[in-house]
Amino acid sequence: MDAITTSVIEVAGLAKRFGTVTALENINISIRQGEFVAIMGPSGSGKTTLLNILSCLDTPTEGKYILDGIDSSSLTEQQRTVIRREKIGLVFQQFHLIPYLTALENIMLAQHYHSMPLKDEAMAALSRVGLDQRWNHLPSQLSGGEQQRVCIARALINEPAIVLADEPTGNLDERNEDLVMDLLKQLNREGRTIVLITHNPDLGLLTDRIIRLSHGHLEDVLP
Amino acid sequence: MAAIESARALRARMFLRLLYRALTVRNGQVVVAVISIMVGAAVVSALASLYLDISAKMSQEMRTFGANFFIGPAPTAASRGIDLATYRQLVGDLPPEKLVGETPLLYGLVRLDLGNAVLVGVDFAGLRKIAPYWQVDGKWIGVDFDDRSCMVGRRLAETMELKPGSTVTVISEDRSRQTRLQVKAVIDTGDSEDEQMFVTLGLAQRLLDLPGRIDVATLSIVAQGGEADHIAARINEHFPGIVAKPIRKISESDGQILDKIEGLMALVAATILVITTLCVNATLTAMVARRAPEIGLQKALGAADRAIVGQFLSETAVICLVGAGLGLILGFGLAQILGQAVFSAWVTFRPAVLPLTTGLSLLAALAAAAVPIRRAVRIVPARVLKGE
Ligand SMILES: Nc1ncnc2c1ncn2[C@@H]1O[C@H](COP(=O)(O)OP(=O)(O)OP(=O)(O)O)[C@@H](O)[C@H]1O
Ligand SMILES: [Mg+2]
Repeated sequence: MDAITTSVIEVAGLAKRFGTVTALENINISIRQGEFVAIMGPSGSGKTTLLNILSCLDTPTEGKYILDGIDSSSLTEQQRTVIRREKIGLVFQQFHLIPYLTALENIMLAQHYHSMPLKDEAMAALSRVGLDQRWNHLPSQLSGGEQQRVCIARALINEPAIVLADEPTGNLDERNEDLVMDLLKQLNREGRTIVLITHNPDLGLLTDRIIRLSHGHLEDVLP
Repeated sequence: MAAIESARALRARMFLRLLYRALTVRNGQVVVAVISIMVGAAVVSALASLYLDISAKMSQEMRTFGANFFIGPAPTAASRGIDLATYRQLVGDLPPEKLVGETPLLYGLVRLDLGNAVLVGVDFAGLRKIAPYWQVDGKWIGVDFDDRSCMVGRRLAETMELKPGSTVTVISEDRSRQTRLQVKAVIDTGDSEDEQMFVTLGLAQRLLDLPGRIDVATLSIVAQGGEADHIAARINEHFPGIVAKPIRKISESDGQILDKIEGLMALVAATILVITTLCVNATLTAMVARRAPEIGLQKALGAADRAIVGQFLSETAVICLVGAGLGLILGFGLAQILGQAVFSAWVTFRPAVLPLTTGLSLLAALAAAAVPIRRAVRIVPARVLKGE
């Protein structure tokens, strides 16, 4: 009973098929509020597919996904969009900033879709990732590491319950990898639930728990 | 309440910023789309200006400007010209509501201080009604019994060194009569009148010693085609010594050209609009494809479909309005070239061109944007955000 009430992510009997390709099969996961979880596994094992479902960007073919007490299978696409902006912060491997907006504006855009753009808050988020001096620069004028830090600032600006990061350090050097991991750890210490996909075993060790995927199946869940 | 207001204001500001950035930051496709709309709008507005202006000018001219009726002596007549009393009777018989203006004309040669000139006796009040487009430097002669004033054609005034206010001595050809006249005005018609001197009919009759006579007369009658022919036939029947005939005016033949190419112009405009729509459609489709990752990202960040539609509709509208604005300016220039080439006339700006061009451009742009925008809405974030 206690476990159910405190888990923000509850996945049961979940499967995802793309035509004849089975990307995920019989996935059962429970992630508690405030946990820092790594998802690891070889390429093509279904990590991104799982994260897309967790972030309500995609829907499962089978099974249940309950996010913060809400059964996502009962939601329309519009409702899933609302859930995404209210509860979830996303970080991608490819950074994905709007190329024609400055660093500050990219963060304000997330506020815009969430509630209202507040410059001061956006600026504070930028200084938190150490980029307040670069607020007026376009993504093309920032290094990869800097772009990813803007993405993290954007992911945290609306104070989401969950931060989902798909190989956020995959395109970064070691120094920037450390910077990004430090930021994620900080966010976790503040009580946010974090799910991180990574290929790097060292990073996996920094988390509370590793979920291993292989050919769309769960390998083992270490408590 | 105040917080809600300011949230709305902040969101509006962010929306405008997004719009501005999307259109201005390294976006060559916007330039292509603006140029497409501009070219389309230019052609449409040029043709519309030409059509509206020429037809407006034409109907205005046919109604009020210029004589469209000529009256002269029958070739068989024994004496010179027409008897003024007969002419007055003829005018009196015309339906008054159809008669815009008329003037008798009496021509003769006179000597001035520096040489000979053609003197024309007219009824100034009537002349003014049928020739309001004369450019008059000075004042029209107001009263019919003013026999101390004259109006002088521009070229004659140059040769005779006359200006409004100067005086000139007019001597009859046989030197038996003479009078001093003050130049009330110099006129410029761009036609034979520029070589002539105009005085009241009475004075001309005295100077030329032709009391009670006129040479010809011109009238402006509200009548077109068959009706004008009908009036002419009635006059010819009732007044045997007189020949009346409608003047087929240049503007009327221009009108026939206009009627003939009206369909052609519409066809060209429609074709251009279709081509514009296709161009803009191709450009917007390419733009949506290029920006698919951003659009996916915006949706991933929580942008509703409505927000995506709103953004692209606004971008399209701005592109369209800028293009249409530039096109209107360009089109007005183009209309002048066409006006000079086809009708030898300058084209006046007609306000109706503005909503017409803008409306048609918006229609073309919206038609062009419909499919690309639907594509933008249908972008699946999970698919486009996947690192390729
Ligand atoms: N839209 C799709 N259509 C068809 N097959 C898909 C689709 N998306 C993913 N797959 C398949 O599902 C499987 C899992 O893909 P997924 O992207 O989740 O792998 P991954 O674990 O994230 O790999 P990587 O570490 O390389 O990112 C793969 O076999 C992939 O080809
Ligand atoms: Mg992946």
